[in-house]
Amino acid sequence: MNRENKLVADTFQLPPTPIEEFTLTNGLRVVLSPDRAIPVVSVAVYYDVGSRNEREGRTGFAHLFEHMMFQGSENVPKAAHFQYIFNAGGTMNGTTSTERTNYFETLPSNYLPLAFWLESDRMRSLKVTQENLDNQRHAVQEEKRLRYDNQPYVNAFLRMNELIFKNAANAHSTIGSMEDLDAATIDDVREFFRIYYAPNNAVLSVVGDFDSSEARALVDKYFGGISSQPLPPPVDVSEPQDVSIPEETFHDQLAPAPAFVLGWKIPPRRTPDFYALSLAGSLLFEGDSSRLYQKLVKGDESVVSIEGGVDERRGPSALYIFALPKPGQEVNTIRRQIFEEIDRVATDGPTEAEMEKLRNSLCNDAVRGRQSTMYRAQRLAEFALYDSDARLIDSELDHYLNVTAADIKQAVARFLTGANRVVLDIVPAPAAADTEEPVSATPQPPGDPHQPASPAPLIPDMPSPEPPSPLNAEVPQLQSVPSEQPKDPAEPPRQTGPLHP
Amino acid sequence: MSQPEIFRSHAPAPLPPHSIAIPAARETVLANGLSVVVVEDHRLPLVSYRLAFRVGGAFDPPGLPGLTDLLAGLLPEGTESKTSRELADEVARMGASLSAGANSDYTIVAASALSRFNDEILGLMAEVVLQPSFPENEVELAKQNTKESLRQQRAQPSFLASEMVSRVMFGDHPYSVVAPTPESIDRATRDEFVKFHRARFVPNSAVFIVVGDVKQEQIVKRVESLFSTWERGADLVTNFPAPPVRTRRTAYLVDRRGSAQSNIVVANSSIIRTSPDYFPMLLMHTVLGANASSRLFMNLREEKGYTYGAYTNLDARRTAGSFRATAEVRTPVTGDSLKEFLYELDRISKEPVSEKEINDAKSYLTGVFPIRLETQEGLTDQLVQIKMLNLPDDYLQHYRDRVQAVTVADIQRVAAKYVKPDEAAVIVVGDGAAVLDQIKPYCPDIEIYNTSGKRKSLDAPATTDIEGTWSIEVETPLGQSIPATLTLTRESQGFVAKIVSEMGTADLGAVNVNDNSFRTTTFLEMDGHSVEAEIFARFHGDQTEGTLKLQNSPSLPFTGSKD
Repeated sequence: MNRENKLVADTFQLPPTPIEEFTLTNGLRVVLSPDRAIPVVSVAVYYDVGSRNEREGRTGFAHLFEHMMFQGSENVPKAAHFQYIFNAGGTMNGTTSTERTNYFETLPSNYLPLAFWLESDRMRSLKVTQENLDNQRHAVQEEKRLRYDNQPYVNAFLRMNELIFKNAANAHSTIGSMEDLDAATIDDVREFFRIYYAPNNAVLSVVGDFDSSEARALVDKYFGGISSQPLPPPVDVSEPQDVSIPEETFHDQLAPAPAFVLGWKIPPRRTPDFYALSLAGSLLFEGDSSRLYQKLVKGDESVVSIEGGVDERRGPSALYIFALPKPGQEVNTIRRQIFEEIDRVATDGPTEAEMEKLRNSLCNDAVRGRQSTMYRAQRLAEFALYDSDARLIDSELDHYLNVTAADIKQAVARFLTGANRVVLDIVPAPAAADTEEPVSATPQPPGDPHQPASPAPLIPDMPSPEPPSPLNAEVPQLQSVPSEQPKDPAEPPRQTGPLHP
Repeated sequence: MSQPEIFRSHAPAPLPPHSIAIPAARETVLANGLSVVVVEDHRLPLVSYRLAFRVGGAFDPPGLPGLTDLLAGLLPEGTESKTSRELADEVARMGASLSAGANSDYTIVAASALSRFNDEILGLMAEVVLQPSFPENEVELAKQNTKESLRQQRAQPSFLASEMVSRVMFGDHPYSVVAPTPESIDRATRDEFVKFHRARFVPNSAVFIVVGDVKQEQIVKRVESLFSTWERGADLVTNFPAPPVRTRRTAYLVDRRGSAQSNIVVANSSIIRTSPDYFPMLLMHTVLGANASSRLFMNLREEKGYTYGAYTNLDARRTAGSFRATAEVRTPVTGDSLKEFLYELDRISKEPVSEKEINDAKSYLTGVFPIRLETQEGLTDQLVQIKMLNLPDDYLQHYRDRVQAVTVADIQRVAAKYVKPDEAAVIVVGDGAAVLDQIKPYCPDIEIYNTSGKRKSLDAPATTDIEGTWSIEVETPLGQSIPATLTLTRESQGFVAKIVSEMGTADLGAVNVNDNSFRTTTFLEMDGHSVEAEIFARFHGDQTEGTLKLQNSPSLPFTGSKD
């Protein structure tokens, strides 16, 4: 640890998060974190099931289940879940990733029993019926059609997983195969629910304005009587170091212009190399002052956009860079410049100014995220589920702050190499021979590169008020909270705040 | 399954509500008129800053729409002593953020940082607001980027819908213009920015809002020392023409060929933000369409499955307003969706809402209120609106009481007053050929526009001869619009075609015109290479549109009209 690091670590302290952890007799792990400042409470239920748990021939089940969970349970009619939450002024959603499926709501704090009633009823008595299954299969297929097949560049991102990872548990997409979903029988789905939606396979976290002993009694009342189940089969996500397929060309009928994605296989989350590579990613592509932005978007003006992200997993993870060159620019030259910049980090390491920027950004992001009870509830649930230690919410920052310039240099030299890399070229496919050319769009980057292959949340964004956008459970949710005041609907979205950096 | 538990059979009643302490905002007005509003909140070592000006796009000079927003965006792009890069680096070094933008009513310079950077951030904000240098290269880049994003916006049907609804609802009022044009961007010179900045960005129209881990006296002192030399300017005069009065339902169809969905907006005029009808309107809007349990969502999405979501929008601004019902629906159900929209608008304007609906709406609005105040940004946004839209200072303190005070009769009164389906503007952005007949039963009066906003006709009059010269504009992915002419000359067997542009002349030779369209392949000479090009053109009356596809490149759309 160099002197500068020590200085930051010494002077910066996150306010400690009050945490009570306990496990019910049925195995449900519970994290309570009272904060009486504002009469708001956030509840998150994390199930330890994601696409990593899906066998071949059964892909897409975890995400299908996210939909099924809103189809009603013994005492909650179909679609009533939304109604109860919205009528109380709350926000809610559910998302699925490789690692887990989560459900969460923020409510005025006097509605805490409602959240427990809704979450516990579906945990104990979800209505897994043929009708609901057929209905939600179609909903998922529609979602795939709209959000994946009808968008440029998105399916290329799904393909990246298969090029980077060799293990089928890691390589398939969260949305899964439509054939697998079609082949699912009601018995398969019931079995999936029994195994993975058991209290002993879940974490419940509650943050906000409540009295701990009252909350504890409510948790017992609503969740205590749910039967536990045998533990799910273990998951093998181990990977050989080398990538599956290092180069490929993706023909994208919707792509208005050529683009490319680069990907590297990197070590699992919460390892020293992961911390270092995650910071390396930040200095390469995070924000307007990042190296690649300054070089390619500002300096050479050769790309429309350059974006990147880290796909953080409990097993082998990945780092991505997506570049959308300006039409007419030489793709190979841009790619070479990116590799050269990465090599510079591997050779010279970050500058001291970059290290200062990284550390201050880490502190800033950590503090900003904590404003929201939902952010804290999600982080606590994640750490409890993945690491059996909710207290990491306070100490995890130190692992990042302690990364040195030398650590970053070494990790980049070791992992962001040609041997460990996938290059996926996206070329516009020849348009189908029809006379009705669709309205052509200017190239635009695909959605969120941080979660390149994750399905859309269940509830769409509304013009106003907006539900939380859960696509980035790993980063602070910094968008505005709901407002009854339309943000000037007549106008395109504006960047009027630091909320949209 | 577990044992039956009787207590589960009904949703639990809420606990008694906990009170919310509305944070106290302390306001100080400096000698030059700058108001400083501070809320101390020491829970986290974080601060949010907003320097807000009561000048927005509605005050753009004639012929220069978008100037205010462009200007705001340029503030952090260079000052008398720092370049854009130096400013960005300095902000990034602190892990902070600093940005600026404008909407139609106001402009905001926003920042957020850890509290230990308080002095530095305030210093930077003063610098970008008081000493922007509008460097020529940054002005040029901002103009290019704005043109590019304008191009991207024009590809979005939601933008086209917003553009058309504003145009028809606001007429001569400046809210009618939602975006600049490439030409108005070209006219925005550095001199215009300097002049406008000097005249409009004055302390007496500004409010500095600071929320977070600060001491009020220290903030006021620091702001005073940084901004005391800033001289008072002329007060803004707001004297805008009134929006037009609508008397009959009319459809405005924006023909976006190949559109997979139709964007529908049904709009009526409505209130300004300070109207005494605001809270009844807010409740009516909540019952009808504010969220996913409102009537429109339940009908169009849950019951009919026409759309991913259907909502209303209460657009109440400083000097005018509208009330809009919107959805993006599948093309084949455009007409059916219009029917449901009109049904719901008619129903709420004629029948009282139920007790359950008004109670649900009240619990929604009073419930969402504390959630809104959870973050510094949430509170700061509220304070900005209070100050910029002239709401009372105790607005937050009385918000929930005012929601609770609204009655069923109040809702019915404002619904009858403002929701008038028979006078509504019905905007549809969609595939004209596929939706025109679907719209007709609900709106006999239909005006048709192309995606550039020009009036057009869908029924191709057979009388227009396609022989002659057509002026076309080819759109490139970079946002340029390349003018060209397409000439068709009748020969014995059919037509001979030729395209002339600044890039050269392409003889297309003989083309086969079938059903008012032709498709042909030719070779163009470009940079000494021979490049294969496929051209498709279709003619309706005096309008033409089509595509130009070069080898290994995406196809470029063009539109045009006969000379």
